[in-house]
Amino acid sequence: MKNQRLSRRTILRGLGTAMSLPLLDAMLPVGRLAAAAGPQAPLRTMYFMVPNGAHMPAWTPASEGPGYALTPTMEPLAKHREFISVFSGLTLDGARAHEDGAGDHARSGASFLTGAHPKKTDGADIKNSVSVDQVAAQVIGSKTRFASLELGLEGSTQAGGCDSGYSCAYSSNLAWRNENSPLPKENDPSAVFDRLFGNGEKVGEGKSRTARLERRKSVLDFVQEDAKTLHKKLGIADQRKVDEYLYAVREVESRLANSSKLRIGEDGVPNIPRPSGIPHDRSQHCKLMLDMVALAIRSDSTRVLTFGFANEGNNWGYPEIGAPEGHHDLSHHGKSEEKQAKIQKINLFHMQHFAYLLDHFADVEEAGGKLLDNCMILYGSGISDGDRHNHDDLPIIMAGKAGGKIKKASHWRFPKDTPLCDLYLWMLNQSGVKADSFGDSKGVLKFS
Amino acid sequence: MLLHNSPIRFFDFNARRKGARLFTATVMMLLTYSLSASTLQPALGIDWVARDKEFFEKIQPILKSACLECHSGSEADAGLALSNFKTSKSILKERQTWEKVIQRLELEDMPPKDAAPLAGADRKRLVEWLKSAINDIDCGRTPNPGSVTLRRLNRVEYRNTVRDLLGIDYALAAGFPGDDVGYGFDNIGDVLTLPPLLMEKYLTAAEDISRKAILAPEPGPVFESIRKPKQLTAGSSGKANDGYFSFYSNGKITIEEQLPWKGEFSLELGMTGSPAAGEYPRMLVSVDGKKVKEFSVQSEPDTPKNFVVPIRISKGGKRSITLEFTNDKTVEAKNGKPAEDRNIAIYDLKISGQKPADPIPESQLPESHRKIVKATPSTGVSVEQAATEVLRPLASKAFRRPATTQEVKRLATLANDAIEAGESYEGGIQVALQAILVSPSFLFKVEEPAPQVAGQFPLLTDFELATRLSYFLWSSMPDQELLGVAQKKQLRDPSILKQQIERMIKHKRSNAFVENFAGQWLTLRKLDQFIPDANLFPKWTTEIRELARRETYLFIADIVQGNKSMMRLLDADYSFMNDKLAKFYEIPGVEGDEFRMVSTKGHKRLGLLTHASILAVTSNPTRTSPVKRGKWVLDNLLGTPPPAAPPGVPELDKAELTGTLRQRMEQHRADPACASCHKLMDPIGMAMENYDAIGRWRTLDYGQPIDTSGELPGGDKIKGPADLIRNIGSKNAEKFVRCLSEKMLVYALGRGLEYYDRCAIDKIQAKLIQDDTKFSTLIYEIVVSDPFQRKGVRDAL
Repeated sequence: MKNQRLSRRTILRGLGTAMSLPLLDAMLPVGRLAAAAGPQAPLRTMYFMVPNGAHMPAWTPASEGPGYALTPTMEPLAKHREFISVFSGLTLDGARAHEDGAGDHARSGASFLTGAHPKKTDGADIKNSVSVDQVAAQVIGSKTRFASLELGLEGSTQAGGCDSGYSCAYSSNLAWRNENSPLPKENDPSAVFDRLFGNGEKVGEGKSRTARLERRKSVLDFVQEDAKTLHKKLGIADQRKVDEYLYAVREVESRLANSSKLRIGEDGVPNIPRPSGIPHDRSQHCKLMLDMVALAIRSDSTRVLTFGFANEGNNWGYPEIGAPEGHHDLSHHGKSEEKQAKIQKINLFHMQHFAYLLDHFADVEEAGGKLLDNCMILYGSGISDGDRHNHDDLPIIMAGKAGGKIKKASHWRFPKDTPLCDLYLWMLNQSGVKADSFGDSKGVLKFS
Repeated sequence: MLLHNSPIRFFDFNARRKGARLFTATVMMLLTYSLSASTLQPALGIDWVARDKEFFEKIQPILKSACLECHSGSEADAGLALSNFKTSKSILKERQTWEKVIQRLELEDMPPKDAAPLAGADRKRLVEWLKSAINDIDCGRTPNPGSVTLRRLNRVEYRNTVRDLLGIDYALAAGFPGDDVGYGFDNIGDVLTLPPLLMEKYLTAAEDISRKAILAPEPGPVFESIRKPKQLTAGSSGKANDGYFSFYSNGKITIEEQLPWKGEFSLELGMTGSPAAGEYPRMLVSVDGKKVKEFSVQSEPDTPKNFVVPIRISKGGKRSITLEFTNDKTVEAKNGKPAEDRNIAIYDLKISGQKPADPIPESQLPESHRKIVKATPSTGVSVEQAATEVLRPLASKAFRRPATTQEVKRLATLANDAIEAGESYEGGIQVALQAILVSPSFLFKVEEPAPQVAGQFPLLTDFELATRLSYFLWSSMPDQELLGVAQKKQLRDPSILKQQIERMIKHKRSNAFVENFAGQWLTLRKLDQFIPDANLFPKWTTEIRELARRETYLFIADIVQGNKSMMRLLDADYSFMNDKLAKFYEIPGVEGDEFRMVSTKGHKRLGLLTHASILAVTSNPTRTSPVKRGKWVLDNLLGTPPPAAPPGVPELDKAELTGTLRQRMEQHRADPACASCHKLMDPIGMAMENYDAIGRWRTLDYGQPIDTSGELPGGDKIKGPADLIRNIGSKNAEKFVRCLSEKMLVYALGRGLEYYDRCAIDKIQAKLIQDDTKFSTLIYEIVVSDPFQRKGVRDAL
């Protein structure tokens, strides 16, 4: 008989802390690092969204080509300069009004990764389109425990309206599994930790993990039958809800099946403290969440990830960096230099945190080069200038070399109205997705 | 009064006795219904042909000359493209847009002064026609009561339901992924999605909850002993071969085994047996010389078959187990028939067992366990019988209607399978409870389609109605009493319904209604996100924020539970506070931590518009925002939201705005493009300027005296908050009553309102005015309204 001993995770729980991680090296169990490295390093795709556009004069490099100089907003990326590509002139047409009137923030949020023009509704018949990360996840997601992860700092909006007659589902969710099923994000680092490494679950003495998985499977099989029976009785709109339920059940089933392959047990828990919840300090919160991003990627738990620094139209103040007024209010700067300077501070704040994530990836060697060689980490906004709400010439950069497809990081400028989706299409192709078009793409973006 | 005239009871207590035929019939009727459902049209009593003719001939020309120059195409002013409306149906469908158009036409601020004027007669004709186009629905002909999309429990409802079902507070539900908001509320079926992430959480939650609700004894340790064929001996009767033991003549194999405890063990044998003279070899198993079982070893040639012999011992210790071959026989080859040899070959041998769980002492069982596990298997009561007895009431409570025989049977089988796979009885019930908690019948508020009867849209079943009612007033499942009333089909008896509503409002669970309805209606849930600049507003602390929110909730609870007039929300000269909050408001004489009713006479506070919670949630982190406050009042109290800021706000090329806030706003309004909307919002917000960004009273802003005077649209001149509040409470009372009724109907139904809901709203409003705008009248009238009582169809326009 095995002796029941105190699970290490139980000990970790007691040490819950809001401190972010000093180091990632040496905290992953050896076995999992090896698994992540593999014979051939996988390509990871990530999308980071910042709301309310950017102060473009401090964003766009003056010159084009590989020798471009980092601008004040991109300054925190200096250490990773060789991996940073800048894409100027891209457009998100779906976010434009197209006779739907106000609501640029909701539209930008919804359209940022879908390229679609979301249907204007506060609820009934919500309609967007599948997002680029999900297209990739549907193809390469089966290789990892989580087909994709959706993370961010702000939860879903709690009450009231979000933007001019658009349901809050549009401004709160980046990832969309299909046209009417958004995938909400996790914003509590401890919850992400638990999902990645198990939540200290008590496996009873004598009851094996297999037995537990068997029970779960039997429960899921059972409720699937229930749902199928119910499905037959309902009208079309309700059936769609049950379809969504059935999809979720099957998805969880396949995650369970994959988890048994991956040996997530005692030896699978990284040697780091489990975060204890959402810290009050925004920077700490952000860093912890980015730690979780780094853990998820480095343990190869997923290869597709989206991250929202806040929901589109967010109005948080940033008193700690001298911008206590709300972000959204400030973005309507009316050309006030003071307000523009504050917007730039907020842009810089986000960029510093993005750099913090890249620090985690820096110098990680894996088969055939460095980890960042095998990444496509897109970062940007669906709005250019927050005052004008324009959706052309968007602030978009990419960190990583896409498995060597980007030979030399550079600043590229594209003709007016080149769809952002052309870049997405290029990214999908790199991930091995055979697609001829995505969103409003006109063709694969030509660069590099 | 409403009659329960649905001929089909979908969840029939007696279905078992009536047998499968009823079930089949029900399914067939459902199929028939779902085919015809799409052809159902709501009776609106509208002659579309005639109305379109009027529209094309008389109205479109006026629109074209007066409006479309600016309001058409993708660059339409204020994003309002009236050119998109090509039929009178499309106008009815987008009636909210047209209500705003009418509002602006009546105010005569559209078309703007610098545009071609609209002749008075044309204006009148346009307004009158538009009003009839969006309002003339024949309410006498049972308008479509609308259809609510299947609603999932949101996270608040989930937590409350688990609490009321099992007595367990599952606080982790607060960490479920956020429920998206539509129409201002987070209980809207159309936007409550169920992503895999949430399913993962439901599954984990179900496991956690079932383990807390029911204690299952931990199964004991496992014993296992495997003997390889080459370890066996049978004297001269057999010998070990490559991979098996060949037992070729009558004899015994004896195995000494230390069995560690009393109870059940099983002896598993993988064997083949070859026949002779038409008979297979027989094996006799004994323990300590006592016969346990004798059986025939019958198998396909060379394909070992598993034989399991249960062994029960009354005391742990060393046991000797014998396997005896009893009927060896050989037959010589004869007359062309081959020789036959009756033999046994043993490939595998395993003895295993698990120590029975120690039962948990009664005193250690949680209350939920004792309530749920009312039956246990015993002699005469099989596991399935006991499980059925436990699961029927549990599933019925969880599904908020009687569980069907089939459902209970499946659950009992699930429990039984788990038990056969090694779980204790209680562990088996846990698994069934997990299935209940993840089942769609638990997670969704299921309302099944029903056929129309005599041209009437079908009523909800009594159980469905009880569920709507309890999630409306309690954000939780119906309790035993309400389910009892539903079962007796008394929920449509007006006096019983009234009595139930009254009871529910008085119950402490109705606090959930205040927090969830009012918390969202008044946007107070967003208060957490309001973090004012600590240098400017040191008095605003997390504690004050929570006290201020509590004040508003207690204030509303008092009006709801005390059945006061809803107008008191606006003009009450009292509120609720404790010493800290009173000190924040600078109201003297309140001692102690307890909240109590406090008169605010002479303290510059009048109704909820003057609550710190609401004044703060409508402010910016560094200053007040008269625009936001004005918009908040228009959105949430008057139900006349101003047009949204146009896309791509025109850049102001002139110099930066300067001066006091009022001066800056006036400069902003000098631009006609801004003025048309800001003159709706700004005067309201300016009247509230005596309250700073955290709701404290002031008369100076940056050393300058505050001017709170202004002119409301329509010409009323006001000065200061009291004037504004009086104006809303008198001249705009109907708008306020209607606005609150509409918001509450959205919340009660879990869907956005459509044009056909107008009839129900009219009726509710009329009753309210008749009945001194009593709060309980509002709730009662919503509950008895057709949209709440009946199942209609989705917008058929």
